[in-house]
Amino acid sequence: MEIYFLQKDKLINLLEILEKTGKVFWAREKELSSNRGVVRTISIEELNEDYIQDYQIPGLRAHDIFKPFLLPLRSKVCEYPDNEWADIKDATERTVLFGLKSCDLNAIGILDKIFLEDTEFIDPFYKRKRKSLVIVSSDCISAGESCFCNLLENTPYATSGFDINIAEVSDGYLLEAGTEAGEKILSELQTREATRKAVKERDDRRKKVLNELKKQNARFEKAFSELSKRVSEGYNSIPGWALGSTCVSCGACTNVCPVCYCFTLFDRSFKRGDKSNRFMVWDSCQYKGFSQMAGGMNPRFSLMERFKNRYYHKFFRFRERYGLYKCTGCGRCIDNCLGNIDMREVLSGIKIGKDAN
Amino acid sequence: MDNIYYPREAVITDIKEETPTIKTFRFELNEPLAFKAGQFMQLTVPGIGEAPFTPSSHPGKVGEMEITILRAGRVTDVLHNEVKVGDKLGLRGPFGKGYPLDKFKDREVLIVGGGVGLAPLRSLIYALFDHIEDFSKVSICYGAKTPEDQCFTDEYNKWKGMPKTTLNLTIDKPHPDWKGTVGLIPCLLEEEKLDVDIKKSYAVSCGPEIMLKFVTFKLLEVGFKPEQIYLSMNRRMSCGLGKCGRCNIGPYYLCKDGPDMCYADIKDYPNVFG
Repeated sequence: MEIYFLQKDKLINLLEILEKTGKVFWAREKELSSNRGVVRTISIEELNEDYIQDYQIPGLRAHDIFKPFLLPLRSKVCEYPDNEWADIKDATERTVLFGLKSCDLNAIGILDKIFLEDTEFIDPFYKRKRKSLVIVSSDCISAGESCFCNLLENTPYATSGFDINIAEVSDGYLLEAGTEAGEKILSELQTREATRKAVKERDDRRKKVLNELKKQNARFEKAFSELSKRVSEGYNSIPGWALGSTCVSCGACTNVCPVCYCFTLFDRSFKRGDKSNRFMVWDSCQYKGFSQMAGGMNPRFSLMERFKNRYYHKFFRFRERYGLYKCTGCGRCIDNCLGNIDMREVLSGIKIGKDAN
Repeated sequence: MDNIYYPREAVITDIKEETPTIKTFRFELNEPLAFKAGQFMQLTVPGIGEAPFTPSSHPGKVGEMEITILRAGRVTDVLHNEVKVGDKLGLRGPFGKGYPLDKFKDREVLIVGGGVGLAPLRSLIYALFDHIEDFSKVSICYGAKTPEDQCFTDEYNKWKGMPKTTLNLTIDKPHPDWKGTVGLIPCLLEEEKLDVDIKKSYAVSCGPEIMLKFVTFKLLEVGFKPEQIYLSMNRRMSCGLGKCGRCNIGPYYLCKDGPDMCYADIKDYPNVFG
């Protein structure tokens, strides 16, 4: 597809067109005051006209995740008896997500594999939400400390999975459509074809960020070249998982993960004998009750078994089933861990073969 | 399209007390529902929640279904204490693959049940009895804590009366009313007591996981190969579709690939027996 050039001060025009397309949620860098002083954060929130003039696309992935647009924290799946779809089958309005990074797109790709492309079961709720999305992504302009997408053979810029991708260059943006819907939106915008020079600048910037990532993650490369083997063969290695000993089973890692999708079904009625609602709610494999059965038996009773299970699911079980790792390398689990656990360090620490015990 | 999460209404037509802690609930189904022995259902108690159970009734009966339930937790407490004949509950399913009856053809089938674990096996027993000419032998071994804790006692004579079928019972500890074998279930599987041609057999077991563990070890000890052992791993399951994430052993989801797993497939993965 063609690459277009948009002047820096014309980004607002793109946002205005997107607002006509659907409800826009953007990633926006902002300052929050806390008892530790001012914290800079990248949030995902509904587009706010007050900020549209000065809006800048964040250079890094947001601290929030886009997952709730596809898998809400709690969503009603039915009402019973006698009301199979309740009010939930109606078409949702179009939602525009703006400012996703390559890792966010990969996350959606992984969720699609599970809920949309698994021939045995396509989730109607996911499908409905997924079809309503318009996705506008943007290149990363630096490497975050906890970022490791390169180790999972991903890049800090997107090459597919978007409707529109935006790359910042010195005096403007390069826009690329990935779908017909994206192409249609761009056609409404005053752009010109990007010069070869501008495209080269974009590619140089991309290379620079990728090199930054490669440099900061160089020492983990070996571990990531054999992840599946490490996690399965090293599962029972006791010293290998020592870095997990500060885990407190809080579940933050799964809750901030853009691809952790485990859930439970949960029923409620206002009064016994009334209609009941059934909800799908997020669950976490780190919680003790996750696999616990009535009567108390629990196949993953110990914290360490649950800790290991998360890695096992991401890097072994999921790959056996779907052919790829269930991780995008976004690093949010590292940023949010109460026990300061770094997934890269854990995976590098797993011992296999002679060193295992 | 049907909503996979929506429970179909099922009316309770009979509740039978099997033991002080186990009851069999009979459901009348609005629409015929065919299941294979070993497949499980999600039973909804309105407003309380769902729990997975494998039916204990004849898989060929499509208009009604029996589910035998041990009182053990939140949902089963309500089932035992509050639910009456005529109440409307909900069912989803069937889920899972069920027992591989095709493989059992022309083989001996050794059925090993413990406690309420005989419930799914009863459904298998009926399925085997339907085509008893296809199987060389059906040996049923069943263990319960006390004679009081045995399920389906009124059917034992009928089972024993079937051609090519034997039934061996044991209870955990000596009891004044009990004249039969005493000891945990593996004691029925001692080589000298086991009248099966191991090379031509399949063993199927269901019960608490600790029992499955020792039954498996005993079966291996007397000469069964892992490929010949099927275990009903009925763990906690929520969605029934291999999505919600909690019931895995290795790469398998018990709800989708099981719940009856061949031991050879799972033996090398972590947390096989909890």
